[in-house]
Amino acid sequence: MDFTLKIWRQENQKAKGRFETYKIKDISPDCSFLEMLDILNESLVNKLSHPVCFDNDCREGICGMCGLYINGRPHGPDDAVTTCQLHMRKFTDGETITIEPWRAKPFPVIRDLVVDRTALDKMIQEGGYISVTSGGVPDGNAIPIPKHKADQAMDSASCIGCGACIAACKNASAMLFVGAKVTQLALLPQGKPEAAIRVQKMVAKMDELGFGNCTNTYACEAECPKEIKRSNISRMNLEFILAKIVSEETI
Amino acid sequence: MKLIKFASITKKIALAAFGLFLLLFLPVHLGINLCLLREDGGEWYRNASHFMGTNYIVKVFEIVLLASVLLHIIIAILLTIENFLARPIRYKVATKTKTPFMSRYMIWTGGVIACFLVIHFINFYFVKFDLVEGKYSADMEQVDKHFQEKAIKLQSGELSEKEQASLMAQYQAISQVSMDKMDKNRKNLVNLTKDEVKLYCGEDFKHYEPDFYNMSLELFANKTYSIIYLLVFVVLGFHLFHALGSLAQTLGLNHKKYTPIIDVVALAYAVIIPLGFAAIPLWLMFML
Repeated sequence: MDFTLKIWRQENQKAKGRFETYKIKDISPDCSFLEMLDILNESLVNKLSHPVCFDNDCREGICGMCGLYINGRPHGPDDAVTTCQLHMRKFTDGETITIEPWRAKPFPVIRDLVVDRTALDKMIQEGGYISVTSGGVPDGNAIPIPKHKADQAMDSASCIGCGACIAACKNASAMLFVGAKVTQLALLPQGKPEAAIRVQKMVAKMDELGFGNCTNTYACEAECPKEIKRSNISRMNLEFILAKIVSEETI
Repeated sequence: MKLIKFASITKKIALAAFGLFLLLFLPVHLGINLCLLREDGGEWYRNASHFMGTNYIVKVFEIVLLASVLLHIIIAILLTIENFLARPIRYKVATKTKTPFMSRYMIWTGGVIACFLVIHFINFYFVKFDLVEGKYSADMEQVDKHFQEKAIKLQSGELSEKEQASLMAQYQAISQVSMDKMDKNRKNLVNLTKDEVKLYCGEDFKHYEPDFYNMSLELFANKTYSIIYLLVFVVLGFHLFHALGSLAQTLGLNHKKYTPIIDVVALAYAVIIPLGFAAIPLWLMFML
């Protein structure tokens, strides 16, 4: 398969970026998207020019490192996959593929297609955890958790933090990311003690970092590689309302 | 950048809550409007507008409603600006993500509705505050009572010459009042201009009210207005498609059992309410 690639190139955070066009030939339909970029980079290195920078790590769809905005969709034209699990058979022969980095104010471009996603970590640091004192290993079933809730919490916990929800959102809102973490911990007894303070702190951080506001467009849900549902946002809204109105704990 | 110093979720809830109040008001307004279609010479419609214009509880809610409209619009505009600024460098390729179509254009459909609201206020609402001249109606009993009082004063010689002349003019005018200035039941003088109010009811008569019934019929007789009106209600329908369901999501009402029911109710609401409003000009255009 042959493709024309239009790729965003930017030397560093301050530099002004631009699109560059590359032709690439004889790509196998079973080649993954990142492998295709590897082939491109090899040819660039052979020509002694700088390869295209992009984030990646595990290449099996579980780490959340990769993330490219391909032809108007985060993680490209397939549902419920990360960029590394996207294959070239999803494209047509001779297609022009435009590759852009995640675009959001809190995600500055570091180089080419690599963006700084520290903002996600900053939000997690505000409360995306439970405070425990270490000690002996607790018994497996010491704390009873209904299966239904355990399943729901597990679904929310499947977030890999790639940032596709933010990249997809027309407002660059991080509500699905924060909502998933708030929901996961609010559903479990271990997360309950800090639930009211957690949601307030994480939302405050999210706003401070410059993410947009949610307008219930649900692009996040449509593009999440882990199919995290918008009900997570709804639950976070409820947790937030209860925390502000019922709880006496404030930040 | 934050234009309003509240948490994003607080803003979202405020927008939803003001929207909810507007959602509750629409069926009330529709109910009154549908009285237009009753062939009773506007009796029901007039009673309804009289109630809405004079009842004190309604007057309190009128202020709440106006505040809701304004705040709903202001917050929506500020949020849109904030959201736009959250992505300073836009994507080159427009999004291909599948999202509910109407949810993406709420600010635009809302803008169309806001523009119509301005026209609507000029046509009707401002008449109440005498900012715009409209058509007026007056209860015949009140006019009679007013006339009798004046007549008694005339007999006891309390009226100046000018007042006497105006009373005579009123007497003459009212005895020759044409049929189209009276409603079907001959209870009200209707469709009067400001000058006619003075002529028929006396210079200092205060108990006249805006005659919204005849003002509406006059507007709907205008084909261009009717078409604009219909288009606006199509747009309102689009806006409402993303109203109730979005509201439930924002208020955290997401439940395996109830969310599908809410979605059906939301859809029904978005279809029935605009259809009800649109039915009025359609009926007047094609059925009469």
